[in-house]
Amino acid sequence: MPKMKIDGIEIEVPAGISVLQACEMAGIEIPRFCYHERLSIAGNCRMCLVEQEKAPKPIASCAMPVMEGMVIHTNTPMVKKARNGVMEFLLINHPLDCPICDQGGECDLQDQAMAYGYDRSRFHENKRAVPDKELGPLVKTSMNRCIQCTRCVRFATEVAGIEDLGATGRGEQMEITTYVQRTLTSELSGNIVDLCPVGALTSKPYAFNARPWELRKTQSIDVMDALGSNIRIDTRGREVMRVLPRINEDINEEWIADKTRHAIDGLKRQRLDRPYVRRNGKLQPVDWTEAFDVIATRLKDVAGAKIAAIVGDQCDAEAMLALKDLMAALGSSAVECRQDGAQLDASVRGAYLFNAGIAGIDRADAILLVGANPRWEAPVLNARIRKRYLAGKVRIGLIGEVPMDLTYPVERLGHGPSALDDVAEGRLAFLDALKGAKNPMIILGQGALCRPDGAAVLARTRVLAESVNAVRDDWNGFCVLHTAAARVAALDLGLVTPGGIEGVFAGCEKGDIEVVYLLAADEFDMKRLGKAFVIYQGHHGDAGAHRADVVLPGAAYAEKPGIYANTEGRIQLARRAGFPPGEAREDWAILRALSAVLGKKLPYDSLDQLRQRLVQANPVFAALDRQEAGAWGTFGTPGAMGDAPFRSPIANYYMTCPISRASQTMAACTAVRQAQQQALAAE
Amino acid sequence: MAFLDRTARTFLLSEIVAGFVLTLKYIFKPKVTVNYPFEKGPLSPRFRGEHALRRYSNGEERCIACKLCEAICPALAITIEAEPRADGSRRTTRYDIDMTKCIYCGYCQESCPVDAIVEGPNFEFSTETREELMYDKEKLLANGDRWEAEIAANLAAEAPYR
Amino acid sequence: MTLAQFFTTHWLGHLIVMVAQCLAIVVPLLVAVAYMTYADRKIWAAIQLRRGPNVVGPFGLLQPFADGLKLVLKETIVPSGANKVLFVLAPMITFITALIAWAVVPFDDGWVVADINVGILYLFAISSLGVYGIMIAGWASNSKYAFLGALRSAAQMVSYEVSIGFVLITVLLCAGSLNLSAIVKAQEGGFWSWYWLPLFPMFIVFFISALAETNRTPFDLPMSEAELVAGFHTEYSAMTFGLFFLGEYANMILLSGMGAVLFLGGWYSPLPFAPFTWIPGVVWFALKIAVLLFVFSWTKGTVPRYRYDQLMRLGWKVFLPFSLLWVALTAAAIQLFGWGPG
Repeated sequence: MPKMKIDGIEIEVPAGISVLQACEMAGIEIPRFCYHERLSIAGNCRMCLVEQEKAPKPIASCAMPVMEGMVIHTNTPMVKKARNGVMEFLLINHPLDCPICDQGGECDLQDQAMAYGYDRSRFHENKRAVPDKELGPLVKTSMNRCIQCTRCVRFATEVAGIEDLGATGRGEQMEITTYVQRTLTSELSGNIVDLCPVGALTSKPYAFNARPWELRKTQSIDVMDALGSNIRIDTRGREVMRVLPRINEDINEEWIADKTRHAIDGLKRQRLDRPYVRRNGKLQPVDWTEAFDVIATRLKDVAGAKIAAIVGDQCDAEAMLALKDLMAALGSSAVECRQDGAQLDASVRGAYLFNAGIAGIDRADAILLVGANPRWEAPVLNARIRKRYLAGKVRIGLIGEVPMDLTYPVERLGHGPSALDDVAEGRLAFLDALKGAKNPMIILGQGALCRPDGAAVLARTRVLAESVNAVRDDWNGFCVLHTAAARVAALDLGLVTPGGIEGVFAGCEKGDIEVVYLLAADEFDMKRLGKAFVIYQGHHGDAGAHRADVVLPGAAYAEKPGIYANTEGRIQLARRAGFPPGEAREDWAILRALSAVLGKKLPYDSLDQLRQRLVQANPVFAALDRQEAGAWGTFGTPGAMGDAPFRSPIANYYMTCPISRASQTMAACTAVRQAQQQALAAE
Repeated sequence: MAFLDRTARTFLLSEIVAGFVLTLKYIFKPKVTVNYPFEKGPLSPRFRGEHALRRYSNGEERCIACKLCEAICPALAITIEAEPRADGSRRTTRYDIDMTKCIYCGYCQESCPVDAIVEGPNFEFSTETREELMYDKEKLLANGDRWEAEIAANLAAEAPYR
Repeated sequence: MTLAQFFTTHWLGHLIVMVAQCLAIVVPLLVAVAYMTYADRKIWAAIQLRRGPNVVGPFGLLQPFADGLKLVLKETIVPSGANKVLFVLAPMITFITALIAWAVVPFDDGWVVADINVGILYLFAISSLGVYGIMIAGWASNSKYAFLGALRSAAQMVSYEVSIGFVLITVLLCAGSLNLSAIVKAQEGGFWSWYWLPLFPMFIVFFISALAETNRTPFDLPMSEAELVAGFHTEYSAMTFGLFFLGEYANMILLSGMGAVLFLGGWYSPLPFAPFTWIPGVVWFALKIAVLLFVFSWTKGTVPRYRYDQLMRLGWKVFLPFSLLWVALTAAAIQLFGWGPG
């Protein structure tokens, strides 16, 4: 622990950190452009110059490791002059287009120029001009503004794992470029916009839309995948303008995936903004009372056992509980959350959690992916695996068909259940890697579970995990990677039926189930509901609404406060960023109002009361922002497994839910990705 | 004596008569008011009147939707929405000023980096309905076209002090 | 039947004559009111070095008609809490009392609609009735401003009527008649033989009381804009307000007329010889009214508004004892020196 002195403050810092970090520990902020905590050190912006005693020139604090007895000054005239000089050089080629720059108002260069810049320029020559690059539908470039900090290059190379970006030329000719004209092929590309300290890389869908000072910032939770990434939703008026990541070291660090960030324009399209009732085969707009009356009339003589409910993938826990309570009041226990047919076992909490935790990936030293494609199912988690890979000494195996580069090398062990058997029975050497590992991790994807033999795969994997000593008191390497944000909370609430979703479909087809209540459930073939009377409560006019006999307009995730449990079972609270359009209402409130019309009034009048009931229903919901360890037990149904390969249920990363399917940005991304694949196939 | 003097003054109404004489004299003095609709007083080049959005001489609108005027406006009278125009440039799709909210402080023209929004010399823009005072971009640009000569002259006159 | 017989004996003839007489008074009177408002504004503006109305018509001469037209065309708003019948009735009372008083005013020798013996008493009674219009307006509006204005107006008019009453008594002591024509004839001769000279203090008291009686500055407390918004007519709009306005100005002209009759020798020329006597008496009478009205406006431009306690103090503690004293003095002088009318 070297001792050093910074601006007269004696401080003891951990060995190996940089002077800049030491200054931060001492509470002194050092200006910087190229330095970033999660990226490698480049040391090329020179903004972080500080004075070190007995050093002949100012030192770049970000790149200088601390040493015993260092004496650092950060506020001497020399430092000030050095930073002024650096700033002047940076501004030589930086265009004065702050008024038309989307970074204006949240620009590092703007802020630091206020602190260190001169108020006029001594540079009378022409500024350099750099051609803009085409980086796809998400990232807009204005390369004149680039100060060559190379944060984007380092992010793409290190975190996103795509070597698409780089710098060419030297001195004034230096340019950040994609070498060949090609779009970024990363699901994390939006993060380079956040990283860019100037306005060179800005968000294309958000271009010129708003200024940071106009936006109201709401802390929320992402529902596009099951990670529960912490996000900040920026709204202007009632319009969601953009989504930015919040830092949460245990989940998303400070990255979010592109779908999280850019699917929000789907919130403005295809929305259900008033109730509808199907008459003569056509949905006709009605008011709430009428819609409720139609439901009440239809339900009057229906036995509880003939009613079923299916909850969707993006519901908040409160709405799901309200639905469960309503169904119970109607005499039905058939509430099903596994609309993709995943053979998940709700009886043991450890059976459906990402037990090791997302941060646990950092500790794992052998990772086996079973039927998972983390790059598409959870891009941020994939980046975490890549981070683990970069740290070294890890073996990563993959069972399943994943037709893409996961951004880190994997040992492809096979495509289907047979490969799983091979590993478990030692026919593949990877078993030794798992057995030899201190913290072995098996990530079980939905591709392995959403199949008729899913329960057998689940049991097989459990046995494998136990046999490689992955389940211990201090480590549980059995990890289920979900794709639906609502799934874990639903399983915690026990929203499963013995027959699963297939049982519901069979009931509908046989006529045993007359009424189906869909809570924003769109991800299955609606034809399978047979002739059932379908009540759809949701926010988008997607598959469910098209099939429905009564449509009740609900709220999307940004428009309601809600509790979500991510794939690791962490309970998180999202706040309301805006209001649902038109006559649409929060989902729990709709269910509560409907219950009163049906004469089965639910015993809560406010969200607070409902949340108390939620904690009552399952105490894990009280543990906000903590990952409660899941109980372990015997689960799954041992049996024969088929030989179909494991395939991820996500066929197109950019369109997985009603919101992203309604999004034009996501459609553009899809088009670009398809064009790329066609071009690749043509080669 | 003083008592007598005061009493005499009171009864002879001397003070009120003096007052009446004074006002009578004023009746015949020249008028100081400007005969407003027919003659007008001088206006400073800094006069802050009706708003206008200016154009460049090639007809391109100046406003680049930087929203600084919207941000600085103490009365929150300005509303701007922007998006990329077909040629990729940054332009407003909506530029509204609620003239009934505006307090004519001139911060918008101070903050404008391209001299697009200005408060021109026109102060005679009363309307018969409140709605007509909700200016939109079209109206503001029309104002700019109408008053460009005066505005340009005023800006030129003020240039040395900015 | 000759035409003369028709007009003097037949009932229809009487009616036609009466209507004609009424119109002959009311129409010029209303025109006078209109131009009084114009003159008022012009004089007031001149004192303040302004121009006054000068846009509508030449020199703004059509301004009063523009204003009148505006008042007629505007919507009459009756407040929901108001007593609707009384609310509408009040401005009519004010307006009608201001007009019917003119029945006894002699414009020239014999030019009077009703040459009654108790003309001065009639005038006094009618001008007292005017206060009902204001009180009813204030009460029926159901508004605190209007109500306070009406209270002030009632107290003020009652107070000053007392001194006006004593002023009238001094005049009729001198003239020995209640008939207005007789009072004028008692002042026959040049301006030196009019009553303003012997009764000069009473003339001043009369004029100031007339200001108070018509709610003019400095006694415009019933409608003081600063405290009571507009006093008793706060809630009035359009033509209901217009009637108040007309009534107020008609009252001013009436009191000026009274002043002319009582103190300025009515229709007589100030210099009782040719060529002044060639000018018809009605013109002299009008001129005298105009002079008094000018003073009304002049006062408005000169003095600020009284405080209410000052107003009351002046009325009760100065004018009342003073005019009472003057009545006594006048009566004593007439009795002792035999100056009375035959």
